[in-house]
Amino acid sequence: MEKLMDELREKIIETLNLEDIRPEDIGEKDRLVGGDLGLDSIDVLELAMMIERDYGIRIDNKELGAKVFASLGALAEYVSENSVGGYG
Amino acid sequence: MTGVCIAGIGLISPVACGVPETEAALKQGKKGIGPLTLFPVSRDNALPVGEVRIPVSDPKLPRTHTLALMAAREAMGDAPSPPDAIVLGGTTGGMLETEECFRSDRPGRSRFRYHAPSSVAEYLATELGCSGPVITVSTACSSGAVAIKIALEMLRADQARRILVGGADGLCRLTYYGFRSLQLLDPAGARPLDARRRGMTLSEGAGMLLLEAGEGGPERDLCEVLGAGLSCDAYHPSSPDPRGTGALTAMRLALQDAGIAPSEIDYVNVHGTGTVDNDLSEARALTALFGENMPPLSSIKGALGHSLAAAGAIEAGVAALAIQNDLIPGTMGCDHPDPQLRLRPAMKPAQAHMDTVLSNAFGFGGNNASVVIGRSRGPGSARRPETAPHVTVVGSACMTGAGDMPGTLQAVRKTGECKGVFPETEFSAILPARTIRRFKRLPRMALSLAIAAHQDAGMAEGPAAVFFGTGWGPLSETYEFLTRVQSAEEAFSSPTGFVGSVHNAPAGHIAAHFRAMGPNITVTGGDYSFEQSLMAAGLLMKEADVPALVMGADEFHQTLSRRFDPSVAHGLSPADGGGGLCVVRTRRPSGPRIGALFLENPQQNPAVISSLIHRLGGRERINRTYGAILAGIPGAHEGPGQEQLKAFCSDAGFTGPAIHYRRFMGEFASASAAAAALGVVFTRNGNIPAGFVGKADYRLGGKGILLMGLGPCITAVEILPGG
Repeated sequence: MEKLMDELREKIIETLNLEDIRPEDIGEKDRLVGGDLGLDSIDVLELAMMIERDYGIRIDNKELGAKVFASLGALAEYVSENSVGGYG
Repeated sequence: MTGVCIAGIGLISPVACGVPETEAALKQGKKGIGPLTLFPVSRDNALPVGEVRIPVSDPKLPRTHTLALMAAREAMGDAPSPPDAIVLGGTTGGMLETEECFRSDRPGRSRFRYHAPSSVAEYLATELGCSGPVITVSTACSSGAVAIKIALEMLRADQARRILVGGADGLCRLTYYGFRSLQLLDPAGARPLDARRRGMTLSEGAGMLLLEAGEGGPERDLCEVLGAGLSCDAYHPSSPDPRGTGALTAMRLALQDAGIAPSEIDYVNVHGTGTVDNDLSEARALTALFGENMPPLSSIKGALGHSLAAAGAIEAGVAALAIQNDLIPGTMGCDHPDPQLRLRPAMKPAQAHMDTVLSNAFGFGGNNASVVIGRSRGPGSARRPETAPHVTVVGSACMTGAGDMPGTLQAVRKTGECKGVFPETEFSAILPARTIRRFKRLPRMALSLAIAAHQDAGMAEGPAAVFFGTGWGPLSETYEFLTRVQSAEEAFSSPTGFVGSVHNAPAGHIAAHFRAMGPNITVTGGDYSFEQSLMAAGLLMKEADVPALVMGADEFHQTLSRRFDPSVAHGLSPADGGGGLCVVRTRRPSGPRIGALFLENPQQNPAVISSLIHRLGGRERINRTYGAILAGIPGAHEGPGQEQLKAFCSDAGFTGPAIHYRRFMGEFASASAAAAALGVVFTRNGNIPAGFVGKADYRLGGKGILLMGLGPCITAVEILPGG
């Protein structure tokens, strides 16, 4: 799970062009949206697209998105449970 | 005040081609939503759309152009002469064909001649023989309604007597996958105002109105455009302000403009896209406006889908049909109205007598427009005593290859040479880092120009309105999408990229930065885009000391600029830039004044030069008023442009310097915006630096500057010294 979280940290920063954020700034339980990262609804959709492309998992409704993108930990858990490759 | 007469209507949508068929479809509650057939999509990605069944079409012509011409011909009917002007909303233009070119990897330049959204209105002008102003409004989903507001003001200002106005958009991958990436498409088809709604249905179509400012009484059962209102949420690039503040302002201003009270509205054709957020914020705005006295209302987007720039114009036409037929169209797709919205939409078509209808159109960037359509109230004139199109410049900024205004002026003082591509890192420094993390080149350029122009004005008060012209829009974002199409990965389109790719994205960012909640207008028309934005500002700015921004910018893109813009292909080195003016409309002008006076198409207009000289007040005024000409001759039109300039100087007896500024600045569509900003500084200083005119500075002797655009369009902007 740690490995997956590190991978996701890198991907989040790259996908959202968060130039002033380092991977270690994103804590497992930190809020992704509306927290210190300053992410908004378009960022969530951008991350959803990244997850679909890179992990083959579709997150296509707002309610699910709100749950999955609540924190890095929640996202890692969801990816790990739903990806065919198997993580963690 | 009396409105302007709707002398003709043309409607092309997924439910019907033509007005009689549309009336029948609305009465029956017919739906035009079905599976996508225009381009292949994987089964995973298949979502319902609204396609128009086009009976016959020219295979060389893009879909949007075909739809627009069908609607335009119907609206023109048996009109004896071409319209004086065309104002058209458009966002996609020939995008579907551009996508095909990328997909098949045959990107020859000639194949992109219909790429630009503005090519649709230009095509109509050629087909209909219109030689007057041709303006393309690109404010996303409100474009068609914003176009109506601009046309209304042109008629009121007596700049035209008959205008063909409307909107047209064809389906394409960009919008299909873009809205899909935003999760704004309902897999079950749009269910506007329904409790289970999950989004809109993307569709296509064209709506056109022939508007007349005649004084004659209505012999036919005609309707009028009574008024229109514009606002900007200044909130978010793709989500509406949940409080509905912007929507409420647009509706209030429309009623005020029409001179009527909310209680006089008999029916509201809501924007009602079916997205969770739009319907909620619109409902809040409606409740705030009408309170307990809510008129009947419905959304036709469950039946017709959302045809983006066409929607506002189609729905203004439908509002007129509703009045003429005593018909309230049904909200098809809505079976269980959302109790949270506290609205009681007409779910099925219903009969009701009505005189006055309000029609809403809202779009990306929080771009809101509301239009009031009414039964003709008899003879009267909509015309106002002519207001001069000038605004007073209180701050100016430019960007060229030589840098910002100070850098450019330095270059102009030396050799004049300022062409090139100013590095992004240098002009991004004044931009807030968090805000611009999603911005590519054009929005960065635009916001940087806006901030610099406002800083130059030294006003504490921020601008309330933004008028932005761009020839080609955000090319870097567009290219990112096209490369996905090329590698057949369009299903993974970036939502950020899509939201950023719309022409009005930069103006939306500027509004959000300054909290500018007034009109937010993006216009596009190749090399004459800035002139169009200045024209719009002249029409829409109220007499007040509240500042506004009038701007133009275009980015150079390694791959796309040369393919789309024939003048860039002609230029030897890459160049881009733009200009921004912070302006006020005041009775006490204290700085240079600028105004767009002329915009005509010379092709079908042999008297264009004499008509221009007449518009500028004749030979005597021209020589008394202007010390120099800044001549914009796009590289691809060098020969004809030079001829036109020669003819003008000779016929007007003008002997001052005429500076071919693109030779110094390079080839980019918004070069005229940079030239205007420089022209303001030259006029203020009373001289033109040596680099532009020869060995020594040229003294203007208290005169102003004439900024001309030449080539396939002839434009004149005058810059006059302050009082």
